[in-house]
Amino acid sequence: MAISGTELHTCPATPAELRTVLADTVADHPKVRIAGAGTAAEWAAPPAPADLVVDTRALRGIVRYNPADMTVAVRAGTPLADLRRELAAQGQRIAFDAPRADAGATIGGLIATADAGPAQQAYGTLRDLVIGMTIVLADGTVARSGGHVIKNVAGYDLAKLFQGSLGTLGVMAEVVLRLHPLPRAGATLRLARTAAEAVAVGRRVMAGALEPAALEWCRNHLLVRFEGGQEGVEDRLSAAARLAGAPGDVLRDEEEAAAWRPVHEVTLGRPGDTVLRIGTLPGRGSRLIEAADALAARCAVETDATSSVGVGAHTVRLHTGDPAARARFLTTLRAEAAALDALVTVRRREGLPDGTDVWGPPPPTVPLMRAVKQQFDPADRFGAGRLAPWL
Amino acid sequence: MLTTTTITEFEEVLGTEAVVTDPVALRSYECDGLTGYRVTPALVLLPSTAEEVAACVSVCAREDIPFVARGAGTGLSGGALPVAQGVVISVQRLRRVLSIDPDNRRAVVEPGVTNADISRAAAPYGLYFAPDPSSGQVCTIGGNVAENSGGAHCLKYGFTVHHIHAVDVVLPDGTLTRLGSHAPHQAGYDLLGAFIGSEGTLGIAVRIEVRLLPRPAAWRTLVADFDSLEAAGDTVTDIIAAGIVPAAIEMMDSLSIEAVEAAVAAGYHRDARAALIVELDGPHQEVASQFAEIQRLCRDHGCTHLRVAADADERAVIWKGRKAAFAAVGRISPDYLVQDGVVPRTRLAEALTRIARLADAAGLRVANVFHAGDGNLHPLVLYSEAAGQHDRAEHLSTSIAELCVELGGSLSGEHGIGTDKACSMPRQFDADSLATMRRLRTAFDPHDLCNPGKVLPTPRLCGERPGPYQPHPLETAGVIERM
Ligand SMILES: Cc1cc2nc3c(=O)[nH]c(=O)nc-3n(C[C@H](O)[C@H](O)[C@H](O)COP(=O)(O)OP(=O)(O)OC[C@H]3O[C@@H](n4cnc5c(N)ncnc54)[C@H](O)[C@@H]3O)c2cc1C
Repeated sequence: MAISGTELHTCPATPAELRTVLADTVADHPKVRIAGAGTAAEWAAPPAPADLVVDTRALRGIVRYNPADMTVAVRAGTPLADLRRELAAQGQRIAFDAPRADAGATIGGLIATADAGPAQQAYGTLRDLVIGMTIVLADGTVARSGGHVIKNVAGYDLAKLFQGSLGTLGVMAEVVLRLHPLPRAGATLRLARTAAEAVAVGRRVMAGALEPAALEWCRNHLLVRFEGGQEGVEDRLSAAARLAGAPGDVLRDEEEAAAWRPVHEVTLGRPGDTVLRIGTLPGRGSRLIEAADALAARCAVETDATSSVGVGAHTVRLHTGDPAARARFLTTLRAEAAALDALVTVRRREGLPDGTDVWGPPPPTVPLMRAVKQQFDPADRFGAGRLAPWL
Repeated sequence: MLTTTTITEFEEVLGTEAVVTDPVALRSYECDGLTGYRVTPALVLLPSTAEEVAACVSVCAREDIPFVARGAGTGLSGGALPVAQGVVISVQRLRRVLSIDPDNRRAVVEPGVTNADISRAAAPYGLYFAPDPSSGQVCTIGGNVAENSGGAHCLKYGFTVHHIHAVDVVLPDGTLTRLGSHAPHQAGYDLLGAFIGSEGTLGIAVRIEVRLLPRPAAWRTLVADFDSLEAAGDTVTDIIAAGIVPAAIEMMDSLSIEAVEAAVAAGYHRDARAALIVELDGPHQEVASQFAEIQRLCRDHGCTHLRVAADADERAVIWKGRKAAFAAVGRISPDYLVQDGVVPRTRLAEALTRIARLADAAGLRVANVFHAGDGNLHPLVLYSEAAGQHDRAEHLSTSIAELCVELGGSLSGEHGIGTDKACSMPRQFDADSLATMRRLRTAFDPHDLCNPGKVLPTPRLCGERPGPYQPHPLETAGVIERM
């Protein structure tokens, strides 16, 4: 343990150490901030000052991996990128591609922020891939839910509560994940399309039962990625081009990686950028994007966006504009989003005035969230500030 | 407490005809598909709208009356078992498909709509609801949400939890709220995910927004015979290791095959020690190349016979046999119990050997039909009530479920814990884990009124002893099958 500033910093290396440190500090260090790799430190609402920082980065490594079962148990502080390498050696992967993983994000951090990437089109988010979890609560209680098998309905699925929990409920110590085979082949069809056209093409590709792995619109191009067997992928690439009514560019390997880079850039943002996360019905996505474009001009901010068009998940990045202009953009966009039944939250809050409401209108579940928080963390030790003003 | 005044109040809310007090009528709600447990409820309520459900629950909350939600009553773990001094709130009258949005591939339905009716309503748009429990013709979407139901095709498509966007829920205090949203990425805890699979203990689902999928472009189905369960199991492992995710991989042992052939003559070979049913679906070319590879893998593992469905009719016959397996067992045994445990796929062979040993020790026969792709076993314990074998069978069945836990698996893959397995939960979860699950329940239901006594063990429940298993009436009638 080390003391930096007024915060005590601790790096437990095992679930047992984690439990001990939490149990031993209840009285002396009541307020706890949980930190992973810090890749989302600027996300969501800012943390309130804490007495103790639980750094999960030493809680790393594979606990159990039997490739034939296609499940893996890992310590929650393991960077996803590290895990990917170990799984790839066995021809397997976690079918999850949030760009933040490349920046070193930990499994626990990716769950706590409910992060997602373009592959949610086919595989959902980590909430759909986590099959078991061990958590440690504020009083040192260690609890487990789920297990090591994919199909399992015994007991409540506590892991779901930690999806999006932002360090407010407890510390994830271990996570068990479902794995998928690394596809034998994969390629992307790139088509120049407006946001509205992209939604229409995406719809046709899905209706054609071509099972795209991702359908992402970014900077006026639609990227349609297919994964599978060599022949199957070729067949689907040409079927998609037929449905789109244009040959497009078929991209592989390095070219393909380059085509996806803008999606990563927009999603991650650079220092100083503000990044918003927006959810809509898929069919309404382009109206939201168009509204954001028009608004950017009016508010004197520059923006770019990326949309998972089949899902209705969008990321808008503000890369210029003073804090007041960005705040105006956010407030006005929220008003327009409300009419579309869309949700606008702040991912990366940099560049916004202090005290900006990052979450927007509270959903009807806020009282339930508070009740869950009260049960799991009655002394309010964890994560003060991050889900404010809801919690 | 339930008094004549509260009954009158329910009648004012719902109309007298929707409040069941007749003792004979009440008895038809005394159990679900797990017929060994029976409790006659004090009252049954038949609301027709979400608001009526909320009004009923509000009265229960105010008067401290325990309540149990009920869909079609096909549950196999006693989840819908009534509480003696409580009410049953049936959602059978909430059975409208409220809207279908083909562009956004979703439907909004009431909880009493059957699983199959969702797909039926979506069919004109080329869409369907993927979770496919074999009770689909009768079980309700509300029950599917409560149990996080799966089906033969969940290996590729996942379970109910992967196919729900939002659920409107009447909370145990009578408040109507919405979990999830039709836009993705609502901030905060994933309460929708926690609610799905909570077996009716966190509230009553009254409106459900489901995800629909486009019908697959192509499918291929085969049956491969093997002369050992190990060879069949190794084939499954190799198919998965080859990076193929079939829509379904099912396995039957010789006793199940014998029962199926006696009942429906679906063309399975009685001399096979194990039969694998593998189905692929997806884009044409993808399916074609993977199907060729699967056939090769079956041959490499010495399959003794390979039968490929030439058309939709042949495919239907194969599935008819598979789905008839449970009921068919009734032909070779006067009584049977259905178990639902899960083991890691790589321990399937070991699990089957140990189950056979347990069966020998008990002097009973066990037939195995199961979802081999995900290690979800459905051992059928054959016994005779008349010969006084009930307790032995019950004990064997419980030992099998607990064996699954010992092998690193789970007490239940899809039928739920309910009343049936609550007392086995301490085998799978330690006291602190169970107490933490209780915290979630308390957050939703602080006064323990919503389906009390289910899922988590209670001393009262864990002292009782179940009666004999009987097939679900609809199963006997051949309307639904058990998997
Ligand atoms: C022959 C047969 C075959 C089966 N095959 C499968 C299978 O392949 N896969 C599978 O997963 N299951 C299977 N089952 C089990 C069963 O059909 C499923 O669990 C189904 O989802 C139950 O639906 P139901 O409407 O009958 O629910 P019920 O039995 O009425 O209730 C089940 C539970 O859900 C709760 N509940 C019901 N409605 C609501 C609501 N609106 N809101 C909140 N809680 C509610 C009840 O309180 C109870 O705890 C089978 C059952 C039978 C009899």
